[in-house]
Amino acid sequence: MASISSRRLSKELKELNTECPAGIKLVEASNFDKWILGIEVLGDSLYKGESFLLKFTFDPGYPISAPAVQFVVDSEHEAPLHPHVYSNGHICASILGDAWSPVLSVSAVCITLQSMLASCKKKERPEGNDRYVRFAPENPKKTKFLYDDDTV
Amino acid sequence: MADLTPLELHQMTQDLLHNSASDRPLISDSALLSVLREEYERGSGSFVQQIDFLSNIRGFTHIRRTRGDGDCFYRSLAFAWISRLLHSKNQTLDVAKAISLLDSTLPTLEAAGFEKMVYEDFHDVIVSIVRQIVVPEPSGATLSPALLLEAFQDAEVSNCIVVFLRFLTSATIKTDPDSYLPYLFDPETGDDISLTDFCNRHVEACGKEADNVQISALTRALKLNIEIAYLDGHSADGSVNFVPFQNLPESDMPNPPILLYRPGHYDILEKQP
Repeated sequence: MASISSRRLSKELKELNTECPAGIKLVEASNFDKWILGIEVLGDSLYKGESFLLKFTFDPGYPISAPAVQFVVDSEHEAPLHPHVYSNGHICASILGDAWSPVLSVSAVCITLQSMLASCKKKERPEGNDRYVRFAPENPKKTKFLYDDDTV
Repeated sequence: MADLTPLELHQMTQDLLHNSASDRPLISDSALLSVLREEYERGSGSFVQQIDFLSNIRGFTHIRRTRGDGDCFYRSLAFAWISRLLHSKNQTLDVAKAISLLDSTLPTLEAAGFEKMVYEDFHDVIVSIVRQIVVPEPSGATLSPALLLEAFQDAEVSNCIVVFLRFLTSATIKTDPDSYLPYLFDPETGDDISLTDFCNRHVEACGKEADNVQISALTRALKLNIEIAYLDGHSADGSVNFVPFQNLPESDMPNPPILLYRPGHYDILEKQP
């Protein structure tokens, strides 16, 4: 029997291929270890006209364990300027840590992050961004974030 | 030790459990109760007295431990339930009933808003292991106590079963809010909490401990009687309080599974000949 993560991801992939939520697009999903999704905020928001890439990394315990999710930061892409997003792409959102549950999915995460961006009132980096980025582990799941905003 | 507040006791147990969490198997083979007694001998007289009560007065001989990872209630209950089916005298009938019960929970999951994609893999895992009690796997083996233990020690199988029971607990609460809402509070802050937040954050998320609400919802969904023995070091006469969660007439389910509660943790109590 295929592992639980590949069984679940193959179903999610099928669903994303048939019907991707608005503003979300599947960019790369050639295996069950790492996916790249494009995300943009529709309608009026501080991020109008901007688009971002999200990298999902899955371990064999997915969906029981949360995927590692971060914005792609490279020569062509930046992380959105947002009080919960560090400049290295790491995201402080409780659903990616403490509040993750196997009910959530790749598309649910994208939609939550989309609405996190949509509701942003001021474009700024989190406090302590430079210090965090300098010492951050490569995998954002290894960071123990303190969630000061329960809505994400 | 008897002077510790419940919160301090809880913290102490949590620390102890978390220190040992990663190297302890998800669920262990049975150990003599005397082993547990030895662990408290140097520390707490009141715990020792209560352990003696369990063995001398109530006749328990063994404890089957689970890892202190916050999933211990669900894992203990699942193990005790499946183990009971495995040892049933009416095995074929009881297994058939258990599978039809598990299948009959799916409309409840749907009604609570769970998508098929989300629950079906976990449902498959728990149904397969129950079915394996009577129907051999392709490898040719029906479930034995050793294979059951092996399955529960395998992180993937074991955690899938835990997740299914978490979903079932959550769905039971969500589809009958009137029965549970008055008892809900945020276990971390003690504040009021909405039913959805409670279920999403404290039932569906792995690693979050179960309290009375979850226990009562899950035993109701599985139509089970269980008792929980509270070993808390707070008994004037050294006895242990047993709290029943009853969903069937006693005569329909005599000798229900007994879980042993120590502040913040659940294991299984056993009587072996």
